[in-house]
Formats: sequence, C-alpha cells, structure tokens
Amino acid sequence: MKLKTLTISHIRLISLYWSRFAVRSGSGLVYLLIALIFGLSMAHILIMPVEQLISRQKRDMGKTDPQVINQTIIDIGRPIIQFLFGQKTLEEIGQESMARQGGFGDKDGTSPNAAGGAKKDTALDPWSTFLLEKRPALLSAIFLLLLFGMPFAISFLGYNQVSGDIQSHGLRYLLLRTERSNIYFGRFLGTVIFSTVVMAIIVVTITFYLGMKTRIYPAGALTLWAFHGFLALSILMVPYIAICSLISASVDSPFLSLILAKVVIAGVLIMGLVGRLAWKPAKYVLYALPWGWQSNLLHFQPARCLLAAVGCFVYAGFILFLGYYHFERRDL
Amino acid sequence: MTHVVSIQGLSKRFGRIQALSKVSFDVPSHSIFGLLGPNGAGKTTLFSIIADFLKADTGIIEVLGIDTTNIRQLRGRLSILPQDARFQRNVPILEQLVFFRLLAGRTKQQAREEVLKSLELVGLQSFAKRRVGSLSHGMVKRLEIAQAFLGNPEVILLDEPTAGLDPAASRQIRDLVKQLQESATIIVSSHNLDEIQELCDHVAILNLGNLVLSGSVDEITLADREYNMTMSRPLQNNELQQISSIQGVRSIQMQSHAGAGHGKSSAEYLVKLNLSAENVSQDSVLAAILRGVLDMNVTPRKITEGRSLESQFLELTGGQNNNP
Repeated sequence: MKLKTLTISHIRLISLYWSRFAVRSGSGLVYLLIALIFGLSMAHILIMPVEQLISRQKRDMGKTDPQVINQTIIDIGRPIIQFLFGQKTLEEIGQESMARQGGFGDKDGTSPNAAGGAKKDTALDPWSTFLLEKRPALLSAIFLLLLFGMPFAISFLGYNQVSGDIQSHGLRYLLLRTERSNIYFGRFLGTVIFSTVVMAIIVVTITFYLGMKTRIYPAGALTLWAFHGFLALSILMVPYIAICSLISASVDSPFLSLILAKVVIAGVLIMGLVGRLAWKPAKYVLYALPWGWQSNLLHFQPARCLLAAVGCFVYAGFILFLGYYHFERRDL
Repeated sequence: MTHVVSIQGLSKRFGRIQALSKVSFDVPSHSIFGLLGPNGAGKTTLFSIIADFLKADTGIIEVLGIDTTNIRQLRGRLSILPQDARFQRNVPILEQLVFFRLLAGRTKQQAREEVLKSLELVGLQSFAKRRVGSLSHGMVKRLEIAQAFLGNPEVILLDEPTAGLDPAASRQIRDLVKQLQESATIIVSSHNLDEIQELCDHVAILNLGNLVLSGSVDEITLADREYNMTMSRPLQNNELQQISSIQGVRSIQMQSHAGAGHGKSSAEYLVKLNLSAENVSQDSVLAAILRGVLDMNVTPRKITEGRSLESQFLELTGGQNNNP
C-alpha cells in the first residue's frame, strides 16, 4: 500500500477543486436539486398540516393552543417513527390512520387524541418519547425521513468520483503530478464537503422556516436539535459516499457506476426489509450498509449516538480502503 | 552518451492480446526520440507504462535513473501528452492548468504566470479564460501540448503531438519541440514519418508489440547505401541492365512515376539504386552511373542519399495496420 504517500496539501487542493467542480458538473447540480426537492418536500408534507392547524385555530379561536398543536405533531410523527424503527408495518399504520379518519380536518381545529381524551396509542418507548416530546418533534420526524431518504440521493453526487475520468483518461493529466492516493481520497473528501454543504443548506432552510413560520419551539432548542440533525445527516452520508467511491473506482463507466450504486444501496435495504418478513435473521442484511444502525444517530442515549457515528466512520474507512486498494493497482 | 530512459524486457498483455513483448531500448539524453509503428503496434501502451498509467506484466523502466514504479520521485521531471485523454470540458483552461501548477507547490501568482507563458508558446494565451468545451480540436491539441511543457520537465512524452493539427500549427509544434531539445529529452510517437525523420535523431520501430528496429535516424536511413535518382524519362530494361553492370552497383530498380500530380510541368521517374559498400568508392560509382545515364540521353534531375524512414518502416512492418 502507498498510503504513506498521502500528501495533505494535495488532498486539500484536490478536494476543494473537486467540490467546486461538482457544482459545475451535472452530477453536483443534479444532487443539489434532488436533495433540495426531497428534503424540502418531506418538510413540507410534515409542516403543512401543522400550519393549517395553526391558521385554523387563529381563525376560529383567535389564538393558538400549543398543547393541541404539539399533540397533532406527535400524531404525525408517531407513525413515521414506528415505521422507521420497524415497530409497525405500513399496513398497520394505514389501518390506524383510517380509524382516525377526519382527525386533522375537525372543524374545531383539534386533534382526535387531544380533544376529549380520545384513546391513546400504545405508550411510546423512551426513544420515541425523546424524539417526539423532549426534542422538537416536527424536526425529529423530518430528520428521520431525511436519514431514510438521503442515502438514495447521495449516489447522484458520488457515482462519478473517478469513473468518468477513468473512461475519458482525464486522470492521466493528474497522475504525473500527484499520487493516486491523493486523487482518490481528495475526491472523496471533496464529495463529502459538497454533501455536507448541501445538508447544511437543507437543514438551515427547514429550521429557519419552521422557526419563523410556526413559532412552536423555543429558538435555542430548535437550533441545537437542528445542529444535531445536521451532524447526523452529514455523518451518515460519509459511508454511502465511500460505497459510491468504491464502485466508481471499480468500473469505467459513470452510468454503470450510478446504476450499481443505486442497486447496492436500495438492494440491501429491500433484501433486509423483505427478507425479515420471511426469516427474521435476514434483518441483519441491513448491517451490510449503515441501514442497520443509522437511526441511532438520533438516539436518546448519547453513547449510542456516538457509537453509531463511529460505526459510520469505521465502515466508511473500511470501504474506502477497499476502493483505494483497487484504484492503486488498476490500469488508468 | 548517457541514457535518460532505459527500457528492459517490457511486456504487457491485455487479455489475449500481447500488446508489448520483451521490448528493450534506451533513449539518449537530450535527444528527440521517435517511436514509430502502425496502429496497434503498442506505442501508446508503451507511453502509458512509462508514465505508470498502466502496469507492466514484466520488465523494468528507468527514467532519469529512477524506476518508474516509484513514479512519485519523477514528479515534476517527467511529463506526458497522453493520447485520447480529455480535459474537463466545463472548466476554464487557465483554472485547470493553474491547478496542475498548484499541485507542484507553486503559489497562485507563480502558477498563473507559468501557465500564461506556456499558453503563449502554443498561441492560446487569448483563450485562457475559455472553457475547454468551446475550443476546436486543434486548439485542444495545443492545450494538451501546453500542459506537457508546463514546469520545464526533463523528459517529455508526446503521443502523436501533431495529429489533427493544420500544417502551420504542426510546424509550430515541431519548432517548439526542437527548441525544447536543449533543456529536455523528448520522446515522440507519430504516424507522420516525414515529421519523425525531420524531427528525431533516434527512432524505435514497433510492430505487433515487438521492437523491430532501434537506433539513430542516420544509421537507419543510410545503412544500405541507397540512393534515389529522379529521371526525366523511365529507363528501359536494357538500360537498367547496363547500369546494373557498373562495378559497385548491387541493384537498380525503376520505382515509380515521381512527378505527376505535384504540379510539375514534366513527368519525372524514380530509380532506386543500391550500392555495394565493399571495396569501391561510392563517389566513383555514382559518377559512372551519371555518365551512363547521360549517355542514354536521360537527364538526372535529383539525387537523394539514403532510404527514407518511410521505406524502412514499410519494409519492417509490412505496411500493416494492426487494428482489429
């Protein structure tokens, strides 16, 4: 291995050049667009009912009732958490939703659970309680959806880290000027930087909108939880970018690299989710990628949270090493 | 004479295709070394292995005394104009080349100055802020050459540097290469044999991955004491026999019609003479031939000494194109 040939100044230059290049090239713009559309759409889907409720309360009562609003948010967030934590299937969630028909459309602007002490769902576990009651619940639900969806989007950014330049032989202009290791790790780092900036844009936009428009959470709590969510999303992207990096270094065609990245990222999730219905241990397939533990990035226990982050970095390091091992030896 | 590049027993296989087979030759210091061969002969593969783009199966390459498996030690000393490598289309020329110089440890200001100087050499200074995608093929070629000259490397590999260039630009590049010979050793591959003969002092000819000939251009083209004589009319068989009977003439061959189609007023005919190198003065043999030709009422219009590189090349490679 030639890891000792890594040159920090070269990695810095290559990563900055690459992240700037990503903005100019199609892949960066496509990712930016997809990530923004996905992120803001998810936020919109969750925030809209709350906004409607607030405006209805203002119209009908001349003021807002924070308790009702909060309960509504918990009603929205609960099924999301139950599904993403594997506590309930989509079918079960759908049935419950049908049973609560008309909940948000009540003319008095109240939620069915809040109004008149309607039946409560089964008690929330500590993690769900933490996410829905001890932290800004709306933001928690949005983060959980982003943690679930962003790995699909990241392949649009990461698929072409080196494959396009292998195909066009563009790397040959660099190979006599720097080491392969610097190119490989520099471009990976550049992709991570770009992804992190995009995550920051999404989280800041959502948090700002949520804070200004709904005014249901204290600014301090909202900012702190937003920062945590931003870190979780940014860290989660690292192993997925590493997967894209490995695939990109293994195939010469950017299109094939994109397809393979999609197949691997979605394939592991589908195999894990579908497989566990037939055979419970099949759920461990999810651990082939961070799918198995990524929700822990928002865990109520700081140690679990930290462990999940370390898991992401260790996993990314391993995959990166595999990719680099291949890249160092292959014909370019 | 010291050798700047030394290649020993180099082999490379792509699947079932033996791209290079035990190729060995040396490149003298401050020479312009031509690498010749038909398509698919292995020239680009050889360049790519020297630059460590491709890994050799067997063999050793040393550039400036450094094994190219330690290519990082040659950083800044070896550069290449790779064939078929593309720049990033949507990034300005200046930015891409400045980035290369930043990697060499230059400040932004120094890098910018060096790049502009290099672009000026190839006549692209006014296009510095243009994106590569907006340049013509010829301009891209000049840009590729400019990047190869960046930073005054000691060894420069140019894979088909004038392919796709108009005659004026080709001449400019050839002049530039000749200028650089003072400070660098240059290895050039080209299909243009006249260009190689004009430009290079040493050549190696590859065919089907094998080295078939290597040496100085003078050695190769003069090896057989061949002369090409242009005549005012074709020689008849009996006239040819008469000349071949002159002592010291090994063979004589009526070659071709050499004037038609070149805008000349009268047709000219080419005779190839091969003289014996033994015991006879070449000058006296040539004088005897000229006398004989004049006696036949034929006007000799031009005599050139030596075989052309092209004839040598075609003979060695059988005029093949090895592309599938």
